[in-house]
Amino acid sequence: MSGKIVAVIKREFLSRAKTKGFIIGTFMFPLVLVLIFSGIFIFGELFKPSTKVYGIIDQTGRLYSEFTDIQSDTLKSGEPKYRFFQVSAEPAGLEAAMNDLKQKAMSEEIHGYMVIPEDVVESRVVYYSARNVSDFEEQESFERSFSWIVTNMRLADEGLPVERIRSAMARGRVSLKSRQVTEEGEVEKSGGASFALSYILTYVIILMIMIYGMIAMRSVIEEKSQRITETIVSSIKPFELMIGKIIGICGLGLTQMFVFGGFLLLIIGYAGPIFARLGVNVPEVATFISTIHFTPTVFMFMILFFLLGFVLYSSIFAAIGAIVNTEDEGQQMQGPLMILIWLGFFIMMAVSKNPETPQAFWVSLFPLYTPIVMFSRIVVSDPILPSGAVLSLFTTVATIVVLIWAVAKIYRVGILMYGKKPSFREALKWLKYK
Amino acid sequence: MNVLDVNNISKQFGDFVAVENVSFSIDEGVVFGLIGPNGAGKTTTIRMIMNIIIPDTGTVSVLGDHDMRTAIDRIGYLPEERGMYRKMKVKDLLRFLAELKSMSRRDAAVAIDYWLERVSLKEWQNKKIEELSKGMQQKIQFIGTVLHNPKLLILDEPFGGLDPVNQNLIKDILMELKKDGMTIIFSTHVMESAEKLCEEIFMINKSRKVFYGKLADIKNEYGKRNILIEYDGDDAFLNSPEILTKDNYGNMAEIQLKKEGDSQKVLRQALSGATIRKFEIKEPSLHDIFINTVGQEARKEAGNER
Repeated sequence: MSGKIVAVIKREFLSRAKTKGFIIGTFMFPLVLVLIFSGIFIFGELFKPSTKVYGIIDQTGRLYSEFTDIQSDTLKSGEPKYRFFQVSAEPAGLEAAMNDLKQKAMSEEIHGYMVIPEDVVESRVVYYSARNVSDFEEQESFERSFSWIVTNMRLADEGLPVERIRSAMARGRVSLKSRQVTEEGEVEKSGGASFALSYILTYVIILMIMIYGMIAMRSVIEEKSQRITETIVSSIKPFELMIGKIIGICGLGLTQMFVFGGFLLLIIGYAGPIFARLGVNVPEVATFISTIHFTPTVFMFMILFFLLGFVLYSSIFAAIGAIVNTEDEGQQMQGPLMILIWLGFFIMMAVSKNPETPQAFWVSLFPLYTPIVMFSRIVVSDPILPSGAVLSLFTTVATIVVLIWAVAKIYRVGILMYGKKPSFREALKWLKYK
Repeated sequence: MNVLDVNNISKQFGDFVAVENVSFSIDEGVVFGLIGPNGAGKTTTIRMIMNIIIPDTGTVSVLGDHDMRTAIDRIGYLPEERGMYRKMKVKDLLRFLAELKSMSRRDAAVAIDYWLERVSLKEWQNKKIEELSKGMQQKIQFIGTVLHNPKLLILDEPFGGLDPVNQNLIKDILMELKKDGMTIIFSTHVMESAEKLCEEIFMINKSRKVFYGKLADIKNEYGKRNILIEYDGDDAFLNSPEILTKDNYGNMAEIQLKKEGDSQKVLRQALSGATIRKFEIKEPSLHDIFINTVGQEARKEAGNER
């Protein structure tokens, strides 16, 4: 490579890498992420839940004891999670009993109360009232308990012996263990987690392509609007300038990708032992981390597809930069390109649920979407390579070669065109210029 | 050896002919003026010399080299449309420009020091471009084009936006560089400054050559040559065969010489019979020549159309 291209690469890279924004973005972002997560755990410890007290008006008189038996969990501190007390609606009537409980809830004596109506077996409704109703996990747990009891009662009404119902119900719960079939055997992997990972990583790729593509565009516009271009192209060919620019800015993106990805691999590999050594035993963290299926292979493909996607889109961004005169015009012209990229994102969401359909195969071979859609297929299929993965690399590279050839022609003419912004058709005519 | 040979180059953008059949060549150490009104084709011609635009027909050879990739490092070019990366430090920018001309790091450092000193901007080397005044930026831009000690220096409207003090500074530097053997192409629409600096002129108008040659020859060729003489005594010299027309006021006369007329012969004849108090050869300015020539062409064109 000529020394002149190296000079351009160095300038594009260093003049941006030295800015505060880049340094903060690259190194502070992972740190901030760690701080946020530690913060969640620290606050979790600070705001430890205490025993919640509920009053229960059981108009059937049959559910209370069974329900409190089931909901007998304890907190980490050893305290019971809930304390229940039964309230009778008898002497003063239901209304008065409820009002009394309401008062107690308002004065924070109790957290809330529940009313089990007499016809609960038929109506299948229990009323729950509390100072706040945001703890959906608790409500689901209560729901399950009541359902279990009511099912039992219904079966008992059918004439089955209570003991048999109990043992049948207890052994009736089934959980789905998902595993992925691979060459090396089966790998435990959950559908939700791999979908979420593909979603997040693809989002990162798209974001990086757009951010750095726009930087490439702005870099061209700066040279054009500040009238720097002619000085530069009197020493270096426009094509070399464009290539140097794309490589230099790509270097910035790669730096960030390596820092982020390396950081993530580090966490997955070492967070558990580090926590253990620090004497922090947080099983939630370990479970969470074990569901992230971010392997070095996925990381490698992430880098590869960022690279391909960036070169593909940044050359289009560079062409837009060469056509327009100001950043405002550039913003307008990049609109359709943005829509195109986001469309790829929505396609990706559909495809990562069904990565092996013919539609998924074909759309992931469409060069503009390969870096997005094929990458997401690779993430959800890892460690198996999805069909067409290798082929897609060749089609994308071939597209890049043709695209760069065309863009270079538009770029060469455009960067020295001042004045009125040409129409798309005029810009296409530049392809024919000698 | 010719530093530059431009051979019958033409360039057309769509329907617009920007340059048509332009040819000239420049010897080493000459200050060459490429002059003409705005939009005449000067910048397109220069861009073709710089290989920024490729001519539709014709060839350019710089320093005897047809391969522009190698020749380009020996040219310095100050474009008319010029600006710099505003966020870069002066020194970093100059180093970048030097690297683009394939200079080694050490040579670049020496040259940057020398030139910053020469234009008295040494203290500003670690400032960002945007912190400099417009005049300072112009000077930085100028030294960016001479850092690598080019054989050929091309300056497109170099004095635009400079105050008189800095104009003088740049002019002095140019004269020094010329003395060291640098060939300079000077493109401008301001004919007075071209007339002061240039030995050879190529005048272009509406994409075509108007005239081309040594400044003195052009003046001989195109100028009406007038003499103002104040005398006491015999006015017989006014009948000299060198003279085309005359206005005699008794002790002062205005004379227009014939095309090949020799002013010095007239002076000698006058001295033989009269006392000469004043003898002034009034040379036509480039501006006059341009107006005359272009005016005639315009009239001819109008006549053809009619």
